[in-house]
Formats: sequence, structure tokens, C-alpha cells
Amino acid sequence: MNLKQKFSEKGPAFWWTGFAALISSGTIFILFISLVIESIPVFKAQGISFLWGTDWFAGEAYGALPMIFGSLMVTGIAVVMVLPFALGSAILTSEFLSGRLRLMVKAAMELLAGVPGIIYGLMGIALLTVWVRDVFGLIDGNTLFTAGFLLAVMILPTVMTLSEDALRSVPGEFRDTALSLGLTRMEMVFKVVVPQALPGLAGAVFLGVGRAMGETIAVMLVIGGIDRIPQPWFNLFAAGQSIPSKIGREAAEALGFDVQWSALIALGLVLFVMVMTLTSAGNILLRKAR
Amino acid sequence: MPRRSSIKSILGLALILLGVVGTVQIGLVGVTSALAQDSTVIRVAGSTTVLPIVSRAAERFQARNSSVKITVNAGGSGVGIHGAGTRRLDIGFASREITPQENNRYASLTTTVIGRDAVACVVSSEIFHSGVRSLSKQQIGDIYLGKITNWQQVGGPDRTIIVVDKETHRGTRHVFMQYLFGKSNARAPGARLVTGSNNEEQAKIAQSDSAIGMLSIAWINDDVVGIGIREGRQVIEPTLKNVRNGRFPIARNLNLLTAGKPKGRVKQFVDYLLSEEGQKIVESSGYIPIHSPHAVSKVAGSHSK
Repeated sequence: MNLKQKFSEKGPAFWWTGFAALISSGTIFILFISLVIESIPVFKAQGISFLWGTDWFAGEAYGALPMIFGSLMVTGIAVVMVLPFALGSAILTSEFLSGRLRLMVKAAMELLAGVPGIIYGLMGIALLTVWVRDVFGLIDGNTLFTAGFLLAVMILPTVMTLSEDALRSVPGEFRDTALSLGLTRMEMVFKVVVPQALPGLAGAVFLGVGRAMGETIAVMLVIGGIDRIPQPWFNLFAAGQSIPSKIGREAAEALGFDVQWSALIALGLVLFVMVMTLTSAGNILLRKAR
Repeated sequence: MPRRSSIKSILGLALILLGVVGTVQIGLVGVTSALAQDSTVIRVAGSTTVLPIVSRAAERFQARNSSVKITVNAGGSGVGIHGAGTRRLDIGFASREITPQENNRYASLTTTVIGRDAVACVVSSEIFHSGVRSLSKQQIGDIYLGKITNWQQVGGPDRTIIVVDKETHRGTRHVFMQYLFGKSNARAPGARLVTGSNNEEQAKIAQSDSAIGMLSIAWINDDVVGIGIREGRQVIEPTLKNVRNGRFPIARNLNLLTAGKPKGRVKQFVDYLLSEEGQKIVESSGYIPIHSPHAVSKVAGSHSK
């Protein structure tokens, strides 16, 4: 009895959980502030031109644009490739499959989501680079396209399951009404359910994009690792560099030192801002959908 | 009544649990403190060229000295030098010399040479078999500068050259660029790919049928073939013999780096690498022992004490 009372008291529970919440939510601010502080030296040395400089050579110049470009490019490729498959399978599972089958597909997707990045990286370096080279008749398979392809596979489960949730959250009456008005199933899905779920679908894609942007190891192994914007810029089959891959390659060498370290932190800051923007946009859209 | 007994049993269970956790904890504390007392951990990392030697040596050294734990990691020469300089590592290893900048930053670094190696210019086996058996320094340089872009221009098939560069801090790159351009951090605008470790470079060149790269001679194999360096009419093949007699132009030292002179267990491990047995490991890993009868006369990029 005594025990029970103590636990139902608000006081200690409030403080304890409040402390936990403060630590958890404070982390993000500490992280952001330390990123900003650590990246000051490079902005002092290079000015704001760090952001659009195209030349990066440790000890000489630090320009982030090739990496920013590379990150945007691989993520863009991933989204374009993932959309038809993720949305297609989400629509199928949500609208056409019965309970049991639906659970099976979802379970498979969740398993896929749990595969570690390095596994995709190994598949990428052993198989995908060779396939891309042979299928597209390239001289080499380590390209932005290969990295984007790999990312598409990696974010497929995230985008698919979240899209499926968004579609499921559209109330059943909408479907019944649409069907009773004489719409075909196809029309019902594309003219009623999908438009209703649109914010949720967009949110799913944004969260997927956020994940794709931060992926390091798998991209690092297949992107080619060259800090250069391809010529012409839309050449998907050229090698490039993404922000996480750049940091992954140079961090151990630069650890804690000089402008090079600061430049890597600044790259991290850029990535942080990009991913945070996307993730919060995604979360806002998802909340709206519910 | 039944309620009461259930509370009792829960309490009892909790006590038992507490007891178990307590003993485990005490046990753990005992074990860890025992570990801390009797064993030393030696942290080593660095060049993937030196890695095979060090990891084999570490295995044998640990087998003999059960109280010593050696953690061996890769990362590259820059990582080895940097780690030893900042004392995050007890021993860093590098397949190049310390640069003047690194020397300024870490004045206390002491270098111990444990073996010798050479960096060969390597090509995909397809290119080698199509007839590109050697290149001049000028030609290799022009390929890395992007002035020569097709194998046809150097007597090979009509195929674009995949120029494989390495991360800028890598020992192999320092030595190779020093040879080509007289500057260990020269740029290579002709590069198509950048790789890190020896394994990565080896794999990417083997996967391609038109790649050129730079690799320690110990890592050359049937898929990644070392080509000769043409000097005038002579062709110098990348063989251990040519490195030993000083003819092959891109030789280097394999270095161990410590902050200050090695001491205690660290010194024992360094001494082991320099002992007859350690030097046998150097040799069986494909490198040249330091006490070999023929000294290596040319060492690229050497400006240390």
C-alpha cells in the first residue's frame, strides 16, 4: 500500500522524468552549438565562401560545394528511384491485400529496414558497381548513380511502411462512398485515397530522404570518393562525393586539428541543417496527416 | 491474505535479484581490477601497408606475453602519425616519412624503421596483357595530370584510363607523388576514383579492366600487376631484388612512431619487431628486412633525422 502510494505521487516521478527529458532534448542543442563553435575556424580562414568553394585539398583549400552537390544528387536519385516502388507496394498492401498478407509484407519491409548499412555497402562494392558498369556500358561503376541506387534500396522500407500507414489512416467511409458512387477501384485509390493521404505520403518521403542524406558507409564504398562536381553537372555516371562519405574518409586523419578538422565539422553542420530541415518538414506533414 | 503472500514473494524475488546482481557486480569489479593490474594494453594503428607485419607480430607477441593486449587497427599513415603524436596510440605505424608540418606539430615523435618496401605503379591485368608492360615517369605523371586519358596513347587498347588516386594522407600516395612530381602532396587532376586502404585500391583496380594505380609491391597479384618503370632504354621491374639493390626508384621505409623513446612493454614490442623473429615476419609479409645484406640506397621523401 505504502509502496503504491509513493509511486502514484507526482513529485519524484515528475522530477525524474523531467530530468531525463531535459537531457534528451538538451542533447540536440549541445550538439548544434558544438558544431557551430568547432566550425568557426574554417569560416574565419575561408569566409562564407567555404559553402560554395569547389576546391577541397587538405592543407590548402576547403570548398564544400562538391560534397553538398554530391549529397543532393545521390539523394535526388534515390528518391526518384524509390518513389514508384515504395508507393506502389504501399498502395497494394493498404488497399488490396487482406490482413494476413498485409502483415507479411510489412514484416518483410521491417526486416529490410533493419539491415545494417555496411551490408548494403558490401553488396554495392561487390555486385552493384559491376552491374552498373556493365548494364550502362560505363568505364567504371563507382558513380553517383550507383550510390543513389543503393540509397534507394536502403530507404525503400522506411518510405514504404510510412506511406502505407498514411494510406491506412484514410477513413474507410471515403472508400465506401467512392465505390458506392460508381468509381472503379483504381479511381477510388488514385482520386480519393491518395489525395487524402498526400501530406502523410510527403512526410514519409521526407523522412526517407533524411535517412538517405546521412548514410555513410554504403555510399562511401561506391561513390568514387572524388571531391569534384561532374562535367556536365547532370552527369549521373561520374564519380563524386557526399558529405558523410567525405567526413568518413578524412575524419581519422584530421581528428581535432587545424582548419581541416574544422572544415569537416562545418560539413557536418551543413548536413545537420539539411537533414533537420527535411526531418522536421516530414514530421510536420505526418502530423498533419493524422 | 493471498495478496499479502504475493507481495512477500515479490519482495523475496527482488532480494534474490539484488543478491545476484550484487555478486555479479562484485565479481566484475574483481575481474576488471585484476585485468588492470596484470595486463598492459598497447594501442597500435596506421598504414595498411605495415598492418600485415604488425598484426602478425602482435599475435605472436601476445601468445608469448599473456599479460599484454595489443589492439591493432588500420587507418593509414596519417592516422598512425597523428595518433602517436596525440598519444591516442602507443605506437603508430607509417609507410612514409613524417612531413615537416607533422614534425613541427609533434616534435616528440621518434621513428623506428622496421623494414623497407617499394611503391609500384600497377595496372589492371587486362591492360598488362594487352601490352602495357612499362611506363616512363613522364607518362605516369601525365596520366595523373589528366594529359594522357586513353591507354592507346601509351601503347595499350583504345580504352579510357581509370586513374585511381588515394586519400591525401596515405603513405603510398606521398611516396608516389614525391617520385612523380617531386612533391608529396601534389595534386592529381586526372584522377577518376579515390581510395583509402591497400585492400580498397587493390579491389577497385582488380574489378576494373582499365585502371592504373599505386600499390606497395607486397600487395601486387595476378589481377593487379606491377609494371616496370622506364628510364631511358632501361626498364626497371618492381621486384624485391631491384628494391634491394637500389635500382627501383620508388622505395620507402616502414616506420614505427612513438611519442618519445619507446618504454616498457611498448619497447619490448618494438624490440620484438626488430629481433630476428620479427624481421622474419617482415620478410614473409613481402617486405625487405632492415638488416638485409643489401641496404636500400634510395628512400623517397626522406628528410628525417
